[in-house]
Formats: sequence, C-alpha cells, structure tokens
Amino acid sequence: MALNYLSRNQERKFFMSIRGKTAIAGIGETPTDRLGSKPGEPRKSTAEYLAWAARLAMEDAGLTKKDFDSQGLAAIYTTNHSQPFWPEEVAAILGITPGVSLAGGNGGASSVSLLGHAAATITAGLCDLVLVIAAAAPFSEHGGRRGEPADTRDYEMPFGVMGPNCKISFVMSRYMHESGMTEDHFGKIAVTGRYHASLNPNAYLRKPTTIEDYKKSRLISDPIRLFDCVMPANGGKAYIMASAERAKSMRKPPVYLLGWGECNNASYGPRYRANPLITGITQAGKRAFDMAGVSHKDIRCLNLYDDYIPIVMLQIEDLGFCGKNDKAFFEKTDFTFKGDLPIQTSGGMINCGQPSTTGGMLHVLETVRQIRGEGGERQVPNIKFGISTGVGAVNYGKNFGCTAAAILGSEA
Amino acid sequence: MAEAAKEIPKPLPEITPVNQPFWDGAKAGKLMMQRCKDCQSWVFCPRPICVECNSGDLEWVQLSGRGKVFSFTVIREVVGQALRGFAPDIPYVTAWVDLDEGPRFCSNIIGCPIEKVHIDMPVQVVFEDSGEGITLPKFKPC
Repeated sequence: MALNYLSRNQERKFFMSIRGKTAIAGIGETPTDRLGSKPGEPRKSTAEYLAWAARLAMEDAGLTKKDFDSQGLAAIYTTNHSQPFWPEEVAAILGITPGVSLAGGNGGASSVSLLGHAAATITAGLCDLVLVIAAAAPFSEHGGRRGEPADTRDYEMPFGVMGPNCKISFVMSRYMHESGMTEDHFGKIAVTGRYHASLNPNAYLRKPTTIEDYKKSRLISDPIRLFDCVMPANGGKAYIMASAERAKSMRKPPVYLLGWGECNNASYGPRYRANPLITGITQAGKRAFDMAGVSHKDIRCLNLYDDYIPIVMLQIEDLGFCGKNDKAFFEKTDFTFKGDLPIQTSGGMINCGQPSTTGGMLHVLETVRQIRGEGGERQVPNIKFGISTGVGAVNYGKNFGCTAAAILGSEA
Repeated sequence: MAEAAKEIPKPLPEITPVNQPFWDGAKAGKLMMQRCKDCQSWVFCPRPICVECNSGDLEWVQLSGRGKVFSFTVIREVVGQALRGFAPDIPYVTAWVDLDEGPRFCSNIIGCPIEKVHIDMPVQVVFEDSGEGITLPKFKPC
C-alpha cells in the first residue's frame, strides 16, 4: 500500500482568522551576560532576569503589575530550570494572579508560537492582555538535571551525539553536499549578523568580523564552526499582547499580529527517513502569509531563529524568498538593514546570546522595534511589515520538531 | 586529564517495553526494526503504533545492516555534563546511515580514518559491546 507522505503537509484553513485582532503593546529585554561562568563573579538568578524583563515590558506599555491580575500570563519553559509548575512559579515570582495561564513548551519556537496562542485567547474574549515572558540564567543558576526525549536518550546520546551541534552538523553537511554552498555563503550570513550587532547596543558580540574570521573560527562539529553557533547567555525577555482595541489607546503604537502559523513534528518524506533540508517553516510560513494577505516583497525585515547559520538560510528558502539550494540568490542579495532583504537586524541570537528558550524572543522584539521605528542605527527604511520565526527541538533523523512564523505590521 | 575522563561513564539507553526487541536483537548480533504489517512502513525509533497509518500491528524484522552514509560530522568538543565520558574518544565520527531497506539510523562510523568518511560511503553494521550489558550497533566501511 503506497502512502501519500505529503498528506500531512497539506494546507489547513483556519476556522476564524486572528488577523489584526491583537497587537504587541510592550516589549522588555534585559541585557544578556555570562555572569557566573567564572568562579566568584557576581551573579543574578533566573527570577531577577524574569522580574526585570517584566518591568521593562510593563513600562514600555505604560501598564503596571496590577493590570495583569485576571489577565493572561504565558511563561516559557527553559531547558536549564525546568520544573512542571514553572508557569505558576513565574506568577509567584512576579506577584500576579492570572486569570488565564498559558505556557510555552515548544523550545526555541515558543515565543513565536505564543503570539498565536495569546492572540487566540484574546480574540476568544478570555482576557484582553497577555504577558509573554521568559528568562534563564544557565551560567549563574543550575536548576537541576534536564530531561531528554526518549529518542535522544536511547538512540543519540549512547553514540556520543553532542546535542544540537552534532545534529545540525548532519543537516549542514548534507546541505553543502546537495546545494554546493560553501564557507563563503555561510560566512556572508555570519558577517551580516555581526555587522547588525555592531549597531545594536543590546547585542553581546559587537566587534565586526570578516568572512576570513568566519573561516578561521574553530571547528566544533564539522562543518559547524564556532561562528556558526549561538552562544549561551543569561537574560530575560518579555512582550505584552493586547486586543487591537485596547492597544490603540496605549503608550506605544500597536504592532499588529497579521499572520501566524505553526507546524510541529513535520516530516517531508517518510517519518523513518525524512528530507532534513526542508523545515516546518515551509508550512508555518505559508499559513502566516495566507492569513496576513501580504506578499513577499511587502516584508522588509526577516528575523529568523538562528541557533546556527545554515538554519537561517534554510528558512529563507522555506519561506519562499528564494528557491531551494539557491546559491546565486545568497550570493547576490544584500542582507543588511539598508539592503535588498534585511535579515537578523538585531544581530540575531548568535550575537545577542541565547538564554535557553528565552533567546528566540529576540526575533519578536526586534521586528516590533523595526516596525515602531526604534531600530536606531540599524533602522530599516520604509518598513511596514516584518516576519519573525522560531524553531525548537531537533527530532531524530530530521530537523526541527517545533516551528512557528509570524507576520507583524504597523497597520491592521 | 584523559585518564580521569575515562572513569566517567557514557550514557546508555533505557530499556523499555517498546524498545526492548531492538536492544535484545543488538545483543544477539541482529539489527532489528519495526515494520507495519498493514501499510508496510518502517517505524523507527521504536513506537507502540505505526506512526504512518496508526495500526497497532507492528512486527520486528531483521535488517541486512548494510547502508550508506547520508550525512556525518566529526565531533571535536564535548557539550554538556552528561556526555563528558566521550572526551577520550574525540575526535570521532557520528553519522546518519540510511539503511538499504529504508530507515535512517544515527550511529558511529568506526574502523576508518575520520578523513576517509564521506557522504554515500557504503557501510556495514558491526556490534560493539559497551561492557555494561548493552550492545551498540555501529558501522564500518564495506
């Protein structure tokens, strides 16, 4: 019996659109640091980064803590401080009594996934504010042993698979084999990100680099080099979603959620041997574009989840900004903030640091800043629409388990 | 440094009712995987049901153990406390092996200089006793 493996990748129509019904009304981002990586360093706990990020987001929105009682609170589980009641612990740390408790369990995709979950919750009328928050301090606070999925525990770790470094190396190695992409292609993306980081006061790695620096950076897990990899860090991030109605009367101009899609446990081909060069962003992005009703040329800023440089490139392909393995596109396109297709305008997580699953929220916050015109020296000119993505969990023999994409804009 | 690292145990699989036939097979020198009797799809990693057609009628089948390297990496650094036991082995090769019958299997390429490993290299399973009651299926060039 022949199976149609494409059936699971078919389009799904939403029953009710959440397009333009909600907006991001506040953002908060602590600086990232690596305090605690050296003995005797002063350090902060996860709770401090959490409270700090919440306060910054509330100030940005012109709200106080009391505004969040009986409203929505969405806490993202972190890999270094995971306990099953984390969303309630977050409420206890912040001193909020939520009327709706949501949680992000999609790893690095959680921040983008929760945009849709929060919008649906608000659109259904359960609340008109949701505080989405994450913090992690992997260097300064050891929250206990992390668990692993059974496939990883039983069929990867016994063979010395060093987590995502190793698994994304499989993807990158195959990508180079099939596409002919070289270190020059990956280096260009890395250099562009660092250039943007040099213009972002909130970035951690800010010294501009060259493609030669990329090529000289040490191999971690061939072909992945140090400059391909995201850097663990401590930090906290938050954003506040509000109903479009409420957002209009708040302190900052609303940044509307116009399109959103999520795709989990994608498999392009049989589940026992999928194509690892196609990600679920293909489906998530298609749904986000369909909902938003905007075209690719309307999108002036791409903030893509960047645990590794090649993953940025696969997502640009999967979102449809170019074809698969499109070497010429990557060679000719200017990806800087003033260029043809600005990407990673914050410098990306690779240069801003990854406080566990908090890291991915950077890409939501940066699109909000760009659309508000708060991009400072790296402001993209004439931007109305931007896209943010998140990915999380690397499944056995494939790529990402969790993927999400969101299109944000200045007009509903 | 390397001497001390040798004393750190490597992680081993947890034997569960769902995956036990795989590990019993490895101990007996057989590479065993599940196949659905209804839709004929292979199922790996082990599952209680067919992940394609939802059938509960899965059978354990012995594979030839032959395949090709679909992709690979050379591990050069330890990441994470749980994996420190691999430090003395660095550098070593982990790979996705696409088995001739279909399924993809993640393992090590051994018995071959690391610089000789390449995509599409034909490989054959060999069984390596971990010394802890678990036998790991690894691959060598053939």
